[in-house]
Amino acid sequence: MLVKVENLSKTFGDFQAVDNVSFGIERGEIVGMLGPNGAGKTTTIHMILGLITPTSGRISIFGDSMETHRESILERMNFTSPYTAFPLRLTVLENLKVFARIYNIKRPRERIDELLERFGITKLRDKAISRLSSGENTRVGLCKAFMNDPQLLLLDEPTAYLDPEIAWQVKNALLEAQREKGTTILYTSHNMDEVERMCKRVVFLHHGKVIAVGSPIEITQSILEEEREEPALEEVFMRVVRGKAA
Amino acid sequence: MKIHRIRAVMMRHGYEARRNFDRVTDTIYWPVLDIVMWGFFTIYLSNSNRLQPTVVSCLLGAIILWGTFYTFQRDMAVGFIDDLWCRNLINLFSTPLSVWEYLIGVILVCLIKVGIGMTAAALIAWVGYSFDIFPWLPSFIPYMANMLLFALAGGIAITGMIFRYTTKIQALAWSFAGLLAPVSCVMYPMSSLPPWAQHIAWAMPTAHSFEGMRGILAGRGFSAEHFWWGAGLNAIYFVVAIIFFGWIFEQSRTKGLLVKQD
Repeated sequence: MLVKVENLSKTFGDFQAVDNVSFGIERGEIVGMLGPNGAGKTTTIHMILGLITPTSGRISIFGDSMETHRESILERMNFTSPYTAFPLRLTVLENLKVFARIYNIKRPRERIDELLERFGITKLRDKAISRLSSGENTRVGLCKAFMNDPQLLLLDEPTAYLDPEIAWQVKNALLEAQREKGTTILYTSHNMDEVERMCKRVVFLHHGKVIAVGSPIEITQSILEEEREEPALEEVFMRVVRGKAA
Repeated sequence: MKIHRIRAVMMRHGYEARRNFDRVTDTIYWPVLDIVMWGFFTIYLSNSNRLQPTVVSCLLGAIILWGTFYTFQRDMAVGFIDDLWCRNLINLFSTPLSVWEYLIGVILVCLIKVGIGMTAAALIAWVGYSFDIFPWLPSFIPYMANMLLFALAGGIAITGMIFRYTTKIQALAWSFAGLLAPVSCVMYPMSSLPPWAQHIAWAMPTAHSFEGMRGILAGRGFSAEHFWWGAGLNAIYFVVAIIFFGWIFEQSRTKGLLVKQD
């Protein structure tokens, strides 16, 4: 098991953001983490990254605990979210050079050029971040996320703000990384079709709790409580939001 | 602790210093403006025979050195605020970069910026007002080191507080040094303060540095007493600042403030 989350809980004052969450991710898997806003997805991702200290529970990544092996774990993983940002006055190249240096990338310029090309933003290389659109910013975040060729990628809505064509390119890049390099991906998204296509397994969160884990079709059958031949995560999502599976 | 990660932080803040006009202003404009203004003031006082040459040197020397202290303390906190404002902290701390590497990178960039500002101010004092601080510098170095160490302790503590209380208290970055100025005895000797304020001034490494430097300019030589008082106080403040910062950073992780960023 590459990622093992056991009985993870987080409270902020009286608010229980994550409640006794457990799940695992196998090497090379793409796992979707779904749930309505406030379900605890982002808090869980932040705890996996070591940005938030859990109230209780354990997280082990690559067989080690984040508390004791933070540096070696984070060298082998990466993260992006459209809700974070880069220093606005720095150019795309300057920002990526900073992260290339953090990961001690040999021949950083070559690596950056390769990533800019992969995500179709070579022409933006010398543009300041403040002059980019949201979608372009998302793609710079993806370049950062692939910088160290991570074995584990945590992606918080990686296709948010992207037009369908670019979103398709990004999904292909992720599938290619998984296929060719065995990259393990934990993926949150509000686009249910995308999750159905990309993810072999889904962890469904609601009110900070795991309410279902399984393949998209298993989740569909379990929450809708009926036999289905095709996954219908959108319907599942609506059912959960409207309170029928809470 | 990895050098390449410290260099990455230096690159990040180096680019910012180059591209952000606010940071250029902070580094050069204010130190130069201060020295130009005080320089004219000392010319006015000298021309009207109200001031002895030693006092002119003390005033201009004090302006240059106080600028160094103020710039260092402010830039440390502002460097962090820059990353807070642009929501870059999650990006940085989701990498192997540790908070101590981050801090060291910011400190090194501040030292370079302070060096540039101080050199610019010193050159103007020399060319414009015939006050040459450079021959004094070797004997000032122990006092300057004390001042910078105090600025560092202050900067670390303020940065820690901004980690915990976020932008709500960001004004401290610019105002903290000002709070210490009256009891740091930048322009006047400690003896001119009322007795209660003298007690506070004794606890300020900056006050000991300025007393010591005034003594040198007045020809009284190096005061080991002021140096060691300053060094001893700094040792205490520095250790307290480091412990405080480590504790408050953990508090921020526990309360999820590192990712909240508002």
